[in-house]
Amino acid sequence: MANDAADTPFFQKRKAEGIIVVKDPPKFDLESYISNYAGFTRADRLRHIGSHSTYLAVDAYRTAIAEAKRGKNVKLYLDLVEEFAQIAPEDPAALLDTTWAAERTKKVEAEKDKLEHELKSYKNNMIKESIRMGNEDMGHFYYATGDYSQAHKAYMRMREHCTSPKHLADMTLRLLLVSIAQKSWLTVQSHVAKVDSTQVKGDEKTKLEPIISACAGLAHMGNQNYREAATSFISTSAAFLTAEPAAGITWQREVLTGNDIAVYGGLCALASMDRSQLKERVLDNSDFRTFLELEPHIRRAINLFCASKYSACLEVLENYRNDYLLDVYLSKVLVDIYGKIRRKSIVQYFIPFSCVTLDEMATKFQLTGEYPSIEDELETMINNGTLDARIDLVDRLLISPPTNPRYTVHADALAMAESYDHTLRLRLTRLNMLAAGMEAKGDKSSAKEQGFKDGTFGDGISAGLRGIGSKMGF
Amino acid sequence: MSAELVTLLANFQPDAQELQQRCNYDKEAREFVKHVSGLSQAQALKGADSPQDPLHLLDPTANAIAYAYTLRHRIEATNKRSPEQLQPELPLWNKLVLFLESFDPVQMRYAGGEWKKLVEHVEQIARNVGASALAIAPIRSAMFRLDPTTGTFTSTHLNFIRLCMETRSYKAALPVLDNYIHSLPTTIAKETLEDLEYSVVASDSVTSGEYINLKSGHTNKISLTDLQEYYVLGAMAYLGEGRFKDALHFLEHVLVTPANNALNGLMLEAYKKWVLINCLADQSYKMPPRTMSSTAVKNCKNAAKAYEALADAFQQLNNLPKLKAQVNAGMEIWEEDGNAGLVEQLVQHQNRAYLTRLSRTFSAIPVSNIANNVGSSVEQVATFVDSLIQQGLLNARLDDSAAGAVLRFYLDPTQGPLAQTEKQQQQALFEQTQRTKALAEQVKDADYRLSITREYVEWVKRQKKKNSAGGGGGDPMDVTFDDGDMDEDIMSDMR
Repeated sequence: MANDAADTPFFQKRKAEGIIVVKDPPKFDLESYISNYAGFTRADRLRHIGSHSTYLAVDAYRTAIAEAKRGKNVKLYLDLVEEFAQIAPEDPAALLDTTWAAERTKKVEAEKDKLEHELKSYKNNMIKESIRMGNEDMGHFYYATGDYSQAHKAYMRMREHCTSPKHLADMTLRLLLVSIAQKSWLTVQSHVAKVDSTQVKGDEKTKLEPIISACAGLAHMGNQNYREAATSFISTSAAFLTAEPAAGITWQREVLTGNDIAVYGGLCALASMDRSQLKERVLDNSDFRTFLELEPHIRRAINLFCASKYSACLEVLENYRNDYLLDVYLSKVLVDIYGKIRRKSIVQYFIPFSCVTLDEMATKFQLTGEYPSIEDELETMINNGTLDARIDLVDRLLISPPTNPRYTVHADALAMAESYDHTLRLRLTRLNMLAAGMEAKGDKSSAKEQGFKDGTFGDGISAGLRGIGSKMGF
Repeated sequence: MSAELVTLLANFQPDAQELQQRCNYDKEAREFVKHVSGLSQAQALKGADSPQDPLHLLDPTANAIAYAYTLRHRIEATNKRSPEQLQPELPLWNKLVLFLESFDPVQMRYAGGEWKKLVEHVEQIARNVGASALAIAPIRSAMFRLDPTTGTFTSTHLNFIRLCMETRSYKAALPVLDNYIHSLPTTIAKETLEDLEYSVVASDSVTSGEYINLKSGHTNKISLTDLQEYYVLGAMAYLGEGRFKDALHFLEHVLVTPANNALNGLMLEAYKKWVLINCLADQSYKMPPRTMSSTAVKNCKNAAKAYEALADAFQQLNNLPKLKAQVNAGMEIWEEDGNAGLVEQLVQHQNRAYLTRLSRTFSAIPVSNIANNVGSSVEQVATFVDSLIQQGLLNARLDDSAAGAVLRFYLDPTQGPLAQTEKQQQQALFEQTQRTKALAEQVKDADYRLSITREYVEWVKRQKKKNSAGGGGGDPMDVTFDDGDMDEDIMSDMR
């Protein structure tokens, strides 16, 4: 059954659209993996796995559909069933349970009416706290039905009725969760900043900190700022693992687990830091060590990288490529991250040598299928300036070019002086033209005379002059 | 009678004792010019072709002013009576050429009108016999004698470059083109021009921008299009000589024209050529010069989209056929704009750019590999590469090995045929320093000229008023554009 899944119309279509489809079985066990999560992310992750892995598709969709049936999100259920029907039409779960859907829709509508009615009466009574709670309930409700933009609006309406810093912090955390669910990372970033600047003090604040840094890391990673992402992840305190729910959200289950932090943080660090930084800030970081212990192979990969065993490091990472492609947040950026780590490894590997044979490079760095040969990959790297080297195609060598700093400095100085000279001449020409009252004009030839009369022309000259004079340094 | 004339003409002796003072020299010279120009043509023609001929007796160097007047009258008269006498290699032409090559530059500062007319006559005579190229050398030496920097733009500059372009003598134009234009002739107030010892026209320290001005007679009134035409034609001359970078720089002078939400035709033309030559000159796309106004850049870009697309295709060295397709698609445009030749160059040049890029990636590469990528035969590529190395465009050598010819690039810039020794570099740096210093002087001059314009002074007055009124706004340091001393100078000049 699992092997047939690759040929189903669903995966064929996704392949044609250029979406990654993973065929090989991953290393993790779906049931135990998903049991770590709760809330919206459960269905989200299951759906992601189901739609990307041919091996786990059936199991994942079944679990996801069962999950959806328990919730209020009817649209999610309908979508899941539709997708699943394209993979395994005979499966009992793929049959649309219309009675349930109709019933549930009716129920949801009723609840919405009730909440709106309540909110209205609270507003009539002008009791701030009640209005706030009414809006909050609306937000919770929309969030549960999967209407994230409405949820966002409802939570936003709480703002003017918040009376204490605690309320404000809770509201922002809720907004944060909703924008994570929407995967709009820029909004996530701004909410993270808002949470960070709330007036909560003391214990409350320390409780929030791990959540802030974890979410900031996630947002940076989503925006492909790996360096900032790595910094945020590795500064996440170990308290995150045991933190109590904040704003009614168990972050380590509903958003990110400790394992996720270890993997995301480790990979982002590998992609953006050099060896000494990795050692100092990642391996020797007592907070982050707790996380790394959850994912020993990431720790091993970083260790190997620090010990300059790049091929072994890449091998470890390659083994887990499929797993990470099935991660809902990582799959979009994984190719980029892996490419960065690989390119960095090649550059680092080559630094101590003046000359390496291409065959040696090819064995050290197994091709990933992106390029037809190691020459092509190296050529691209040299052309875009990542690697400072030259290829000798005759003797099949990668050569580090000799440097001559003295010569370079002289040549640079000369080039700079020449360009400065030229710029100065251009400015001189312009200045002369301005002084002589020369100006390119459109068809209205009277424009200049008018300019002369009301004196704006002189202003123009002087203003231009001042600029030029100060730029030239006279 | 004619003897009297000669005495009169020889009246002005620049070496005389009392004229050593520049101020006196200035006064004498002015008076003499006034006097001589008061002579009628009949008077000036006295004694012609006799032993008392002033042109025999006067020395073109020492009596430059007098000689110029007599010569001019003689030519004009001959032109009326017997134009056949006015031909190259005939005595009058020879005298004219001799004068233009040997006149005393300081005296000619005072007789600008004569200088201009004589230069025009040379051109006219040469054109009449259909040998305009003959006029190039005399005109050029006349320009250089008058102003060794040839940096003050005159109508002669434009005529000269036009002449060079007509006769395709690009090389002859280079000495003038290489000297950049540092001043434009302006109207300088009479007060600043005369009676000030440190700035008399005859003084040794003045720059050409001061004695060549709109009133001195050396030039006609200059319009913006004249100047732009000079730069565009100059760029074309550089192109003819294959000096792409200089051509590019010349065009940039047109691009920086102050423009107020408008473009003129020459700017647009210059921009189109600029885009193409940009590719030819350094293979990487540069931004338009920063001095160019941003609206002008935008307007140019909109109007020259076809060219931008061409430049874009040129950059894509791993997609060589694209450029050819672009070129063919826009053939009509290029021909209409008269740029078809340049576009053709672009195609040829792309292979060169491709090879240059290879030198940044490879240290050695079999020629057969290149041939595969470019899509031509090994022999063709080898010849092409060899010619590039011969022309000094690639720092590389061709080796023969068992597997066929191999192109090896020199990685160290101090090795190979294009290597520069440290001494050469130092020399180049030294020369650059000299140039920059000279340029700084010119900038100061231009600055000074601007500071004595009416508009600037009015602006300063307004600023002063604003400040004393206690508007209070703005940084006090911002009031004068230079420093306090500058203000003092201006006021004293205006008095």
